[in-house]
Amino acid sequence: MGLFDYFSGGGSEEDKRATEIRTGAVAPTRAERQRCWEARDGYFACLDTNNIVDALKDEKAAAKACKGESAVFERDCATQWVTYFKKWRVQDIQKRARLKELEAQGANRLDVNTDFAERK
Amino acid sequence: MLQQSTAPMRAVMNALQSTPSRQCQRLLSTARNAQHPRRPTPTCSHKSQPLAQRTFKYKTVEEAKSRYRSGPFSWKAGSLFVLTGGGLLWYFEFEKGRMQRQRVADAAKGVGRPKVGGPFELIDQNGKTVTDKDLKGRYSLVYFGFTHCPDICPEELDKMAKMFDLVEAEHKGALVPVFVTCDPARDGPAVLKEYLGEFHQGFVGLTGTYDQVKAMCKAYRVYFSTPTEVKPGQDYLVDHSIYFYLMDPEGDFVEALGRQHSPEQAAKVIVDHVKDWKGVLRIPAATTTTTTV
Repeated sequence: MGLFDYFSGGGSEEDKRATEIRTGAVAPTRAERQRCWEARDGYFACLDTNNIVDALKDEKAAAKACKGESAVFERDCATQWVTYFKKWRVQDIQKRARLKELEAQGANRLDVNTDFAERK
Repeated sequence: MLQQSTAPMRAVMNALQSTPSRQCQRLLSTARNAQHPRRPTPTCSHKSQPLAQRTFKYKTVEEAKSRYRSGPFSWKAGSLFVLTGGGLLWYFEFEKGRMQRQRVADAAKGVGRPKVGGPFELIDQNGKTVTDKDLKGRYSLVYFGFTHCPDICPEELDKMAKMFDLVEAEHKGALVPVFVTCDPARDGPAVLKEYLGEFHQGFVGLTGTYDQVKAMCKAYRVYFSTPTEVKPGQDYLVDHSIYFYLMDPEGDFVEALGRQHSPEQAAKVIVDHVKDWKGVLRIPAATTTTTTV
């Protein structure tokens, strides 16, 4: 796993920085945030194709189906962020389902944007 | 058709016709009961009265008879009654609606400005003390967040940078963008300086002691919660409100801008407020916001 690679990988500056980000010792820069978000999107795309909604609850299935993506996600993001994004994903999917349901019932849509990035 | 519709009408007429005499009887009997309870009385001479009194008014016997049959009710009287009743009903409804609108308008007028903002004392990303007085004389856009924020704050800060540039293009120096950390334990001036520098050089980053930040958040009605029992070195996220607070040059709250506003929309709102401002804006000669970093 990514975390152990870093501990065994030895003490280059880059590795030290990455470890600090993962443990939350430092706040990531814009570029580091971007890298984390990309890793997250990759991981979520994998979960999507495998029909996994909650990666925390279906931990085993998620680990089995998206091993590589998960490793990258955990390498590039702070551990706290990983948990946060996994929870966010569940809520977001639920929200979308609820919105769809309401729209089917003829509810009016208010223009509120909560996406990370623009959806296609 | 005609017969069908007249039949119920006749029944109504008959009923109406019969009521006055009965009412008259009741009225008389109660009146007499009061005086002589043991001698209830019989009749009401209603029936013969109209004829006797009004014979001279009618030209023909038929007219008198028809008048007698329908009693004091006629189509004219009926329609007048319905029209008057309908008119009054409409008027009451109309007045009720008007009063309600008035009450809403008065309530909004009476409440005045929400109590958001107030005195504070914090330090900026250069370690310089900043108080509420330093923000007066210009509009300020206050945002609360923390540097370890995973997604929303960075996005909102990018938006704030765009907003700021758009407002600057129209009214240079009229707006101060302020970022207040909700995580003073980790976000010292140096951290803030590095973090905000990536968004906009013009941002003013504020931090302080936990109590100072807490007082600031309370004044701005900002909810934030740092997890309790955090061990030193342990990572955590801070839950907080995500609005931009637009404050006027006197330090009074104007409006909250949220996620639903695009940078362009938000900038327009701000520019409109700046245009509305009747007082004098205290814009520093060399805009301090660009020289702070």
